[in-house]
Amino acid sequence: MSTGTTGFAEPADTPAPARSSAPRLLRAAARRLLGAAAVLLGAATVAFAALQLVPGDPVTVMLGPGTAATPEVKAAIQEQYGLDRPVPVQYFTYLGHLLTGDLGESYQLQRPVADLIGDQLGPTVQLGAAALGLAVLLALLAAVGTAGRRPALRALSSLAELLAVSSPSYWIGILLLTAFSFQLRVFPVAGDDGFAALVLPAVTLALPVAGMLAQVLREGLETALGKPFVLTARSRGVGSAAVVLRHALRHAAVPVVTLTGWLTGSLLGGAVLVESVFGRPGIGALTLQATTNKDLPLVIGLVLLSALVFVVISALVDLLYLVIDPRLRTD
Amino acid sequence: MAITGPRPLPLLAALTAGALLLAGCSSGTGSGSGAAATAGAAGIDEKPVQGGSLTYATDVEPISFDIHVSQQDITGAIQRNVFDSLVHQDDKGEFQPWLAKSWEIAPDLKSYTFHLREDVKFTDGTVFDAEAVKANFDRIVAKETKSQYAASLLGPYTGTEVVDAHTVKVNFSEPFAPFLQAASTAYLGFYSPKAIKENGSKLGAGGPADVGTGPFVFTGYTKGQSAVFTRNPDYNWAPPSANHQGPAYLEKLTIRFLTEDSVRVGALSSGQVQVAEPIPPADVRTVQGDPKLRTIATDAPGANYALVLNTTKAPLDDPKVRKAVQRGIDLDTDIQSVYFGVYKRAWSPIAPSTPYYDKSLEKSWPYDKAAAEKALDEAGWTARDGEGYRTKDGKRLSLEWPLPPAEYVREQRETLGQAIQADLKKIGVEITRPRLDIGTYIANVYGGKEHIADYSWARFDPDVLRLYFNSASKPSTGGQNATFYEDAQLDQWTTTGKGTFDKAVRQDVYTKTQQRAIELGLIVPLYVRTAVVGTGAKVRGLTADPNTWLAFHGAWIAK
Repeated sequence: MSTGTTGFAEPADTPAPARSSAPRLLRAAARRLLGAAAVLLGAATVAFAALQLVPGDPVTVMLGPGTAATPEVKAAIQEQYGLDRPVPVQYFTYLGHLLTGDLGESYQLQRPVADLIGDQLGPTVQLGAAALGLAVLLALLAAVGTAGRRPALRALSSLAELLAVSSPSYWIGILLLTAFSFQLRVFPVAGDDGFAALVLPAVTLALPVAGMLAQVLREGLETALGKPFVLTARSRGVGSAAVVLRHALRHAAVPVVTLTGWLTGSLLGGAVLVESVFGRPGIGALTLQATTNKDLPLVIGLVLLSALVFVVISALVDLLYLVIDPRLRTD
Repeated sequence: MAITGPRPLPLLAALTAGALLLAGCSSGTGSGSGAAATAGAAGIDEKPVQGGSLTYATDVEPISFDIHVSQQDITGAIQRNVFDSLVHQDDKGEFQPWLAKSWEIAPDLKSYTFHLREDVKFTDGTVFDAEAVKANFDRIVAKETKSQYAASLLGPYTGTEVVDAHTVKVNFSEPFAPFLQAASTAYLGFYSPKAIKENGSKLGAGGPADVGTGPFVFTGYTKGQSAVFTRNPDYNWAPPSANHQGPAYLEKLTIRFLTEDSVRVGALSSGQVQVAEPIPPADVRTVQGDPKLRTIATDAPGANYALVLNTTKAPLDDPKVRKAVQRGIDLDTDIQSVYFGVYKRAWSPIAPSTPYYDKSLEKSWPYDKAAAEKALDEAGWTARDGEGYRTKDGKRLSLEWPLPPAEYVREQRETLGQAIQADLKKIGVEITRPRLDIGTYIANVYGGKEHIADYSWARFDPDVLRLYFNSASKPSTGGQNATFYEDAQLDQWTTTGKGTFDKAVRQDVYTKTQQRAIELGLIVPLYVRTAVVGTGAKVRGLTADPNTWLAFHGAWIAK
């Protein structure tokens, strides 16, 4: 197929209504993949550039002030990582390695970056998924339960959401730990030891997200409930619960899905704090260590990972739009 | 969102220099020695309990577990339980046999011959012998190892000769007296030669690959969470002066990494961990007030946290101005209020627990605002500007003392800095504290471009005085003399002290060095860091080595 450089041009041979949707789908997928590759390249470049801007000799910065390392050791480290070569050469060498799937080796941990990320990914995915599920559930309960009625309950729920959104997750974590771990001793303090140890970190990570989602969802619901189609539905004798769940919710869901996608990406940032407070292994803890130590290959690997997460999530969100809103299914 | 409280400082052996671990001495505030002392005095009459497991929470997680590579205190502290050394340094700084039964030092201090114990085995079954010593020392200096610390401990090492199966001769290209002390540290501990051969590049990752001869076996490591150790049932070669011989009592030791102070303290008070350290000064009283808990406090040895004055940068090139800074800070009040009486005010560049500490310096340079003002008047800084700062020839008396990024600052040193700033303002000296990124900070401070630097250096040896005051110890080449002062006497004394085992000579030169450094106003020692460990009331027999690191070999849990 002679795909032009103008990616958006419609193929000339598809005016016939005959559903040639397969090549079209392929094109769409190819466009997506190209876009994803561009995002990843951009992320790798920005991360590389940002770390180049850190003043000082990278080896000295990496070893920290007052190191006992001799100039010879520093030279050996510099040579091993090619830091003595010109920056463009370093950049292209790095990209070359990336293309072959080689993320390099961590300066400090002296292990392949891919292995390190692989080892730490599990606990964070577990934490993130649990937090996301919990956040969506809480937001749904709060918004659906209070939208457009029960003013007192609604006010109370709004206040709780505001508190959840505006409290630093670090502080929420300490608070939850003090109450449920140090005082009541229901949950263990920290670590990655099964379900009980997952509860508090997941709640900590979920609360701010739930607060934000609930606010947006409630507003969407209330707007939708004021629309004429609701009146129509009601006049057909549909109960108020069914109106909310069957009609209004679908309307309100689109912005919430967008927001959820964005928040899911930001969970990775939240994980840095939560994992450090709870002493859990994971990507967040690894990120903290990598950036503190200016561990260039590891930082770039982690940046690529989060870029990838964003790309995947935005693809999922686009798909979800189609599921939720029939108007978007254009053929 | 910033994490408050002191952060873990993975790399900064120097700024923090802090022995991150600490030591035993009976409870209460530190009585001063970095000594091997026992927790739980009540346990004297009890019969030690075999078995059981203990969880210990600490604040820093090692970056590399490889003792031959890492420069972190925490690596040495944790791995001390897995690796033994040739000799043992006792709490008075004397050397005792350990894996070496005896040793001879050549009169020119260029070679050391060690006679090794013959009954020592690594936990993989390999015999500990002369070849093992050679394999380890050669690995440390090998270029591929990229040792950040251990190689510097070996100094002018030229090689190890295997004299017979259990005799080794370690050679140096020049006289090297510090070798015995170096050989007693965990950084010159011994891996099984088999482990080096099979997993040489993976030893930093921790876990079962790290095979030593110590009382514990490194059985598992989950990065970001914990390290697990189990008892070495064959262990029977503790240093003769240890409080316990034979295998460890504990079946299992788990080390948890809890970086948040409040979480670590909470885990201890709720009984989820049995030992936690450090306990931050603000929490010490709470922990002491809890009947279920005990504290062990010890002063860290080595160079105290201090203001190091750059004598090559005006106006600090004037000794009178330096003296004014030294006497114009109300340290007693500042240290008491910032550290709740847990840390003590320092009087010497080195801590009281360091061998050859000069006690006569105590109270010899108290806060004296009038004397400080007089010194500044004499130095010609008599005029005042609109903000009350002194001026000379129209120039304000202003000193720059930069701050590194927050993650490199620990022990509330920034708060202490504010108190010092306020004190010096009272005598008309302005202190500016620009926040620099770490690259610029290192370049400026170690390049002599700043007026004041601040750091400490934990080491159980008065040789830190050479590191701080010998003019050859240039920061550009790995030294720590940010005073940039060149003094023939200080050079001579510290070089003499490094090159001899004669106690009287060492006593003499180190006393003179401490006094002269204070007298010349090269340094303003601020506080003696007191390391506080919190333990559950049933923990017994927990000891610390002279580096103030916890040793779990003799620890047990009462019924």
